[in-house]
Amino acid sequence: MSGREWFIERYRAMGSTLAGDETTPKAIRINSFRTTDEKLVETLTEQGVELEKIPYLDHGYKVQYSPFSLGASIEYLLGQYSLQETASQYPVQALLPTPEDRLLDMASAPGGKTTQAAAYMQNKGIIVAVDINRERLFATENNVERCRVINTSIHHVDALELPDEEGFTKVLLDAPCSGNYVTDKQWFKRRIMEDIERNAELQKRLITKALNLLVSGGVLLYSTCSLEPEENEQNVQWLLENHDVELVELKGPGAPAVTDTDSIDLDKKISYCRRFWPDVTGTQGFFVAKVVKR
Amino acid sequence: MRLLKRFLRDIGSKYKPVDVVNINNKRFSSTLDPPIDIPELVYTGTYLGQNKQRFEPSSILLQTLSDEPSTHKVYVDRDTAWLFVVGKDIFDENIVDRTAGVRLGGYCLVMFGEECIGYGRYETSRDLRVVKNLYDVGDFLRRE
Repeated sequence: MSGREWFIERYRAMGSTLAGDETTPKAIRINSFRTTDEKLVETLTEQGVELEKIPYLDHGYKVQYSPFSLGASIEYLLGQYSLQETASQYPVQALLPTPEDRLLDMASAPGGKTTQAAAYMQNKGIIVAVDINRERLFATENNVERCRVINTSIHHVDALELPDEEGFTKVLLDAPCSGNYVTDKQWFKRRIMEDIERNAELQKRLITKALNLLVSGGVLLYSTCSLEPEENEQNVQWLLENHDVELVELKGPGAPAVTDTDSIDLDKKISYCRRFWPDVTGTQGFFVAKVVKR
Repeated sequence: MRLLKRFLRDIGSKYKPVDVVNINNKRFSSTLDPPIDIPELVYTGTYLGQNKQRFEPSSILLQTLSDEPSTHKVYVDRDTAWLFVVGKDIFDENIVDRTAGVRLGGYCLVMFGEECIGYGRYETSRDLRVVKNLYDVGDFLRRE
C-alpha cells in the first residue's frame, strides 16, 4: 500500500480530483505588529515585487514575482514579514489567540506559527513554545528574535513529557505528520501506510496531552499538512469518542472535511473541519480542526 | 552583565535591563511566568544578546536603544543599508545623517529610517573614515 498511483486513487475515492503534480506558490505573511500591510506592500512593490492578497488570510500575500530572494531582504531581516506557505497561515488565524491568552505551541519549530500567534496577541499574554528537536528549535529562536517577539518562552522538551496540569487557555497542535507531495517531491516514493498509521498514533497521544493541558473552556487547534484521513478526520473521530469536547465549525478556506465515502463513515460533524485539497486551493495539502474542551 | 553594561555605555544608552535571565551565555529580560512548570528553558521574553569577545546585542535590544534620544546613530539610505547587512563597513560619505554623539573612536547604531540594522565603530581605516561593521541584522542569514 504505497506509491503514487495507489495514493492518488485513494484521494479520488475521497472525492478529490487531484493530479498529484500540484504546486504551491511562494507566499509571505506580514507581521502586523512590526508594520502595516499597506506600508510593506508599497515598499516591496517599489522594489519590483509583485504581490497578490490572499482573500481568506488576514495578512497573507501570494508572491507573483520578485527580482530578489524574499528571504534575504532588509524588511525580512527586520521581521516585517515571514515566508509562510498559504495553507499553513490558516491554523493560527482559525485559533485566533488574543493578548489575554496563555498559549501552548506544542510542536513549534521552526517558529512560523509561533511568531504569527505573537502578532495576533500583540506581543502580550504568554506563548510557551516547545519542541523535541533542538536543531529545529534554533530556527524558532531566530524567528522569534527576528520578528521582535517578546511574549514567548521556548523550551527544548518533548510535549508528551509535559506535566498534566490545566494551565493554558489555547493550544496549537500543528502535529508532526506524514506531510504531502506538494512540498515534498519525493513524497510518493518515501511514504508507506505504516508511516501514516504510526504518525496517527503519535498524534492521538499529542491530542490527549493537549487536552490535559487546557483549562475547561480552552480551545485546541489541531492541524496537519497531511492528506491522509488517518491523521485527520479519523483522528478527530477518535477525539470526539474519547474526550469531552465540542467541535467548532470552521467556515474558512478549503473544503468541509470528508465524512462519507465508500471506505469512510464518520460523525457528520467532522465536516466542520477544513481540508485543503491542493488542486482546489492552490496550496499544499492541509487539515484543520478546532475543539473546545468542556 | 559587565559586557552588556559596557556596550550600553559605549552606545550612549541609559537603558537599565531588569529581571535579567542568563541561559547558556545569552541574556534575556523576562518576567514571563509560564502557567505550568516546564523544564529546559532555552529562550524567554526579551532577548538582549550574548557575551562573545564583546557583548553581541540582539536586534530587539538594538531597536529598543534606537528609540532613546541619547544613543549615537548614523543614518543611511537603502543601498548603503543593503551593503551593511551583508557585512560591509560604511564609508563616511554614505552617511546621510548622524546624531551629535557620533565621534571618531566611538560606537553608533546604524539606522535605516526608523529601523536599526546593526551597530559599528566610527573609525579611521586607511585614511578613510568608516563605520566598521560590528553587528548587523544579516546575521540571521549567517546563523542558518
